[in-house]
Amino acid sequence: MARGENQVVQTNIHNPPTTTVITTGVAHRIEPSKRVIPAVRTIDAQSVVKRLQSELMALMMCGDPGVSAFPEGDNILSWIGTITGSKDTVYEGMIFKLSLIFTNEYPFKPPKLKFLSSCFHPNVDTSGNICLDILQDKWSSAYDVRTVLLSIQSLLGEPNNESPLNTQAANLWTNQPEFRKMVVKLCSPPIEALKLN
Amino acid sequence: MADVDAGHSEVVSDEETSKEFMCPICLDLLYKPIVIACGHICCFWCLHHTMDSIRASKCPMCRQPYIYFANICPLLHNLLMKTNHVDYERRGKETLEIEKSNDCFSSQDIECLNSCCEGTDENKISISDVICSGCKEILFRPSVLNCGHVYCESCMVTLTNDKLKCHVCESIHPGNFPKVCLDLDYFLKKKFPQDYYHRKELFQSTKVRQDQYLNQSSCTSAVVGENSKIEEDLIQMQNLHPCVGCDTCGMIPIIGKRYKCKDCKESIGFDMCEVCYNSSSKRQGRFNQRHTPDHVLLLENSSLEEVPE
Repeated sequence: MARGENQVVQTNIHNPPTTTVITTGVAHRIEPSKRVIPAVRTIDAQSVVKRLQSELMALMMCGDPGVSAFPEGDNILSWIGTITGSKDTVYEGMIFKLSLIFTNEYPFKPPKLKFLSSCFHPNVDTSGNICLDILQDKWSSAYDVRTVLLSIQSLLGEPNNESPLNTQAANLWTNQPEFRKMVVKLCSPPIEALKLN
Repeated sequence: MADVDAGHSEVVSDEETSKEFMCPICLDLLYKPIVIACGHICCFWCLHHTMDSIRASKCPMCRQPYIYFANICPLLHNLLMKTNHVDYERRGKETLEIEKSNDCFSSQDIECLNSCCEGTDENKISISDVICSGCKEILFRPSVLNCGHVYCESCMVTLTNDKLKCHVCESIHPGNFPKVCLDLDYFLKKKFPQDYYHRKELFQSTKVRQDQYLNQSSCTSAVVGENSKIEEDLIQMQNLHPCVGCDTCGMIPIIGKRYKCKDCKESIGFDMCEVCYNSSSKRQGRFNQRHTPDHVLLLENSSLEEVPE
């Protein structure tokens, strides 16, 4: 970093941006250097598997009541989760199954979650898609399967009626006894019914 | 690692330690740990992966925005090498393999503190492994600067005149006081209870320190103001160099002038922000670039500002 060099550089600043400079700017965008997520992804698949295995281990060692999850078949990137509706909510005793699909970019990108059981809820559409900020722009790599399922469990009891996917459910929310009736009618059967079958 | 300093510490099993120093991203033992300004710890690569290249990054744990990719903390690095020797070596091998296949490396020469290189009692830790870079006593409420050096929260105030400058490496800490690293604090409390509480009592009985501490608290609140200024700059996209970070202070993306080294051969390149360029820092790159002071740095006019809509 010689002084002379520095001066040359300084004078360049005052020149108006030329076409060459603009090209540098555009080219720069595709320059791979310093890109936060490197292009090479082959090895990272291993770290996804490693992380999911740690999560599975932790879930099996100290499972929370009301949420559980397990890989579906041999594919560690596809899990089935189960949530039980919390006590004192309209979902009490109901069991919901969800699918969790992880990409090779997990945990830097959120998993894709979907209700497999039908769920009558303001923030869940009829296909089972969930509208929850932490599964989109508010995702953090420190979230895991357990915290995501717990978040959905608490979303059940505390919906965000401002941005509903199911407007019928959002409108009915204020009438809790009627809402409960709809939940019982539309959602998966409660534990007792399962046992009878 | 049994019998560590018998007399003033309880025995902490390897398992417990690895749970304490677990990276929240890879859920494995921390490797080449970085302490973010908010006090949370991540592995070098894990944190790098979570960072945003076009706007301020957010801490994965508390979402506090930051734009400085801090240096690896040598104290924690050396500490983990001792407390979790086997796992740390394993992590080192695994990481190096990935680095080789990506042809992009983390810093390979992290400074050794104390006698860690002498190889005696490799797995035993003592107070000399966890001393403050300022007062040289056992750390009490440790905070980590952007350069990776660790100070007691109360000693950090002695570093500041106008700017927060590290006594060890003389680098200026960008931004205001970092928050206490609670994971390390918890470890110290548990590992060296007697010494830790002795420090605590001393701290509480010294009124001067308390006053300084109060001053510091007011400084900490200023961080919020600064962060919102950063956000503002980023939103305006003024002089912003997407995907490019400063290899000296770790600012990513670089805001303002960007100087690019034309002699560094590594594919990741070597860049500096204006402040670091003018301070003629001799720090090597964060990605193990072999940058030397005789390399030539050129101003790059590649900020978003110049890119036509």
